[in-house]
Amino acid sequence: MSMLKKYGLIALIAGGVFVALIFFSLNIPRNREANAIERSVLYIISPVMKPVSRISFFIADIWDGYINLVTVRQDNLRLTRQIKELNTRIVSDNEALLENRRLTRLLEMKETINESTLTASVVGDDLSNWFHTVIIDRGSSSGLHEGMAVVAAGGVVGQIVKVSLDNSRVLLLTDHSSGIAATIQRSRARGVVKGKGDGLCSLEFTTREEDVKLGDQVIASGVGGVFMKGTPIGEVTMVKKGEYGIFQTITIRPAVNTEHLEEVLVVLKGGI
Amino acid sequence: MSKRGIFLLIISILGALILQTSVLPVYVDSLFKPDLLLVIMVLLALRVSYGTGAPLAWLLGLLKDVFSGLYLGLNAFSFLFIFIIIRSVADRLYAESGFLYVVTVSVATLAGVTINLLLLLLFTNTPAIAYSMISGLLPHLLFNAFAASLVALLPLFASVEEVA
Repeated sequence: MSMLKKYGLIALIAGGVFVALIFFSLNIPRNREANAIERSVLYIISPVMKPVSRISFFIADIWDGYINLVTVRQDNLRLTRQIKELNTRIVSDNEALLENRRLTRLLEMKETINESTLTASVVGDDLSNWFHTVIIDRGSSSGLHEGMAVVAAGGVVGQIVKVSLDNSRVLLLTDHSSGIAATIQRSRARGVVKGKGDGLCSLEFTTREEDVKLGDQVIASGVGGVFMKGTPIGEVTMVKKGEYGIFQTITIRPAVNTEHLEEVLVVLKGGI
Repeated sequence: MSKRGIFLLIISILGALILQTSVLPVYVDSLFKPDLLLVIMVLLALRVSYGTGAPLAWLLGLLKDVFSGLYLGLNAFSFLFIFIIIRSVADRLYAESGFLYVVTVSVATLAGVTINLLLLLLFTNTPAIAYSMISGLLPHLLFNAFAASLVALLPLFASVEEVA
């Protein structure tokens, strides 16, 4: 009796382990099919599992969506700030890229000019609607004088008309008061480019006999000594020869878009 | 004019200048640019005496000439002329009315363009400018009236209830 008490528990455990092993070994060949025990347990548990699972998900949602949001506001603010910083950087990078392109073109123009030049930025526009002048950030302290030529990457911009210590006013070629001696590049016909005030120019004093066609390039003739010979002025967009009169009516679109000027080159030659 | 008035006037003129030369051209076409100095001058003409207002109007015009065109004195003359005309009738008008102010700015705009055009045609060799001035007159007039209507919202004008 004492032997049974002494070794009974051990024997029971050993027997249980042995039965479990036998059970396991018997089930090895049928490891892909549920036996009666598995089926029964699943049958009993599955109705409970579904609502419990839903409740668990519900609780998890509440936790993640409402309770565990202590840092979300901080994260939101940080990310919003980062987005703003990145957007600002993108805008400034794009601006730098565009500026680089403009300055590269300006530099190419500068290399074609034999005289010394000075780069200036446009800082202001004309106060009135019918005069066409711009203000640049260079003046007499930089060696500028009235009458000096101003060009941009595309060609002629105008002429300096008023100079102060650190600023100057440039009369654009589109102003009614502007006049530039010009030549048609192809036929060498001559005339004077005058501003029309609406962003366009006209080539005046070109006689009816001269050969001028649509698309002809107009360049500075160099007469007068302000603009270097060959500097582009614009392109002929309209030619009209009336039945009477000595001259043709020629409209020119300037090579430089005077409405969106940002950087210009002042040719440091001549002037009053 | 009080010290506060002088201070406000200087700030307004500087603001108008900067706005018109460096800010507005970036965002709006040159045709749709209001003449803020004219708007200020009309306000002076309705509110300030001859002694103070006439030199100020001339100086405002001169300031405009410094930043516009080639002809120094052109706007100075037209501003002074318009000031004198408005001032001569201002005592008989209800100068606190915002509506009257907008109408006066519109009339002053027309008068300014007419005087400038006449002077340019008489004294300079730019006859073609007449086309630019006449074709741009309507938008210029409308934008000046719009700018004046914004100024008329300021507390220095009587509200509609007060007028009624």
